[in-house]
Amino acid sequence: MKKLLITISAMLSFSLSAAEAGLTFPDDKLPILNDDALIVSQQRGMQIYMNNCMGCHSLEFQRYNRAAKDLLIPEDIMIENLLFSEGKVGDLMENTMKTKAAANWFGAAPPDLSVVSRARGTHWLYNYMRGFYVDDSRPYGVNNGVFKDVGMPHVLENMQGLQAKTEKVKGLENDVLYAQADIANARKQLEEGNNTSEAEKMLKQAEKTIHDAEAAMVELAAAGEFFTIVKEGRLSPQEFDSAMADLVNFLDYVGEPIKLERERLGVWVLLFIVGFGFVAYLLKKEYWKDIH
Amino acid sequence: MTKMAQLMQWIDDRFPLTKVWNEHLAEYYAPKNFNFWYFFGSLALLVLVNQILTGIWLTMNYNPSGEHAYASVEFIMRDVNWGWLLRYMHSTGASAFFVVVYLHMFRGLIYGSFRKPRELVWLFGMIIFVLLMAEAFMGYLLPWGNMSYWGAQVIINLFSAVPYVGDYLTEWIRGDFIISGATLNRFFALHVVALPIALLLMVFLHIVALHKVGSNNPDGIEIKKYKDENGIPLDGIPFHPYYTVKDIVGVAGFLFFFCLIIFFAPELNGFFLEPPNFTPADPLKTPAHIAPVWYFTPYYSILRAVPDQQLGVVAMAASLIVMFFLPWLDRSKVKSIRYKHWSFKVWLGLFVIAFFVLGYLGMKGPTPMRTLVAQIATVYYFVFFLGMPWWSTWGDTKPVPERVTH
Repeated sequence: MKKLLITISAMLSFSLSAAEAGLTFPDDKLPILNDDALIVSQQRGMQIYMNNCMGCHSLEFQRYNRAAKDLLIPEDIMIENLLFSEGKVGDLMENTMKTKAAANWFGAAPPDLSVVSRARGTHWLYNYMRGFYVDDSRPYGVNNGVFKDVGMPHVLENMQGLQAKTEKVKGLENDVLYAQADIANARKQLEEGNNTSEAEKMLKQAEKTIHDAEAAMVELAAAGEFFTIVKEGRLSPQEFDSAMADLVNFLDYVGEPIKLERERLGVWVLLFIVGFGFVAYLLKKEYWKDIH
Repeated sequence: MTKMAQLMQWIDDRFPLTKVWNEHLAEYYAPKNFNFWYFFGSLALLVLVNQILTGIWLTMNYNPSGEHAYASVEFIMRDVNWGWLLRYMHSTGASAFFVVVYLHMFRGLIYGSFRKPRELVWLFGMIIFVLLMAEAFMGYLLPWGNMSYWGAQVIINLFSAVPYVGDYLTEWIRGDFIISGATLNRFFALHVVALPIALLLMVFLHIVALHKVGSNNPDGIEIKKYKDENGIPLDGIPFHPYYTVKDIVGVAGFLFFFCLIIFFAPELNGFFLEPPNFTPADPLKTPAHIAPVWYFTPYYSILRAVPDQQLGVVAMAASLIVMFFLPWLDRSKVKSIRYKHWSFKVWLGLFVIAFFVLGYLGMKGPTPMRTLVAQIATVYYFVFFLGMPWWSTWGDTKPVPERVTH
């Protein structure tokens, strides 16, 4: 029994360290808004989406007029400002990008984003949108801290500008690379049975280096020193973060348009069930009072 | 005679309506000492009705084809009036079904409800359980999300472990060389027609068998032993109205949690609706981590715990088959946990822990440590059942009362 408990606790701690290994940057929380502020944020998000994303990423399950109704945007304003195709306001939000051509341009066709907030989660999206950084080895000159080697270019460069990893982060990443090489070497030596004590020492040292470097990166990220702006954009970093929160809130709405209504209704349903349960309990008590 | 009584007489002359009503409700005498654990039978019936009704309405708008299935589910979620509610009731209902059925089976385990003369009640129940697993598995393919696709891929491939004919068998199940629209169509037919009919038939037999022998109770004694001059068990009360009104309270309690999930957390953090299933099925894109829905994970763990794939499949099948034999494995002199030797509580407690550990591990990717733990839990799972004829006779039992304690 004791052995089992030890094994279970060892397993749990192991799963924790495994979760740590998948570090992504940035890793910030999406600000939570109340319902009124949320709708305003979603409206702004829709504006950003229609102007920057819609060309490549359709929302093929979402209708324009449903968004107008749910986000309290008058239909004429929607048609004038947000409906760029020749379609009608009751149409689904599709675009004209050819899947085959798109796959050729970007390596993979830009996916439809109707339910991306449910597939990826808002936390992931928020950080993904803020995670593009300069990487000259990539075809479009940028990589992403959350989605490594993603095919998408930094579409919002005009808003955010360009950010790059700071020298400190690059130094830490080099440490990790060397440590990984050491680990590979040490493993090989251990397999071959050469210098086993030496190799084990090297393995331990390298693992510690990686662990320390990762902790240092998390600290740098928390202090806002992971990325540094190398080219100014139209928005300040705070404004850009807020714009990305708007965009993600809009995608969260599109992922499940009924969400707010569902939660509003849920309160009444639960209240009814509590009342119903109370009456049912009294009825049961009445019937059962002569059972001894 | 009133008009109503005349009508009843007219029907009774042609169909045993009053007789059936009395035999199964108004004059079906159930022990008066049912406790919390006895809610889950009627709740299972409630969830069954929920699945059938919401299922019928979902079927009206669902399109079982590789091209349109995924989109039709989103159509239901957005463009069908109350479609989102129907879908969440159905998806949450699937998980609720297993919660309720697992608790129902656990009740049987602790009070010995499967013991003589209720062996057939248990066997019919086990068949229902297996049918339910097939029903849930096939239903899970229908949204045609990427986890639907790859989950089905993993499970169907289990059949390739069958010697000699394995590959032909998987091809026969899929109706294609890969999982495709053909597979989706046949799973749809089985999910909405064949399996529900089989389920309803088995539920009917389960209840007929139960009402023939009468319900067990937390004391594990027979109330039919002491009857009054009219032949009515002294400790029995008519199911209707006593247990109908009591079960309604249980229904309210169940619905509270059921609706809490439907309205506030329909995905239940990925347990009931998994994030990868919000991406359409893609034969070329394997999800990073494939795990079955939570209710299958204990068995999935047993499958993976065995290093050899063929033997793993055998172990998984055996873990279900062994449960069928429960009525003949338990050799204790008493039925209920209340009067069994204390060692029963230890065996049972460890079994519950092993089952939960297996369930947890089945959701996680394998590591050497996890596999080891799963192997220990798997061994215990089988020792619990196969060792039962031996350990269930251990120690002294407590004296069993003549009449139920209430």
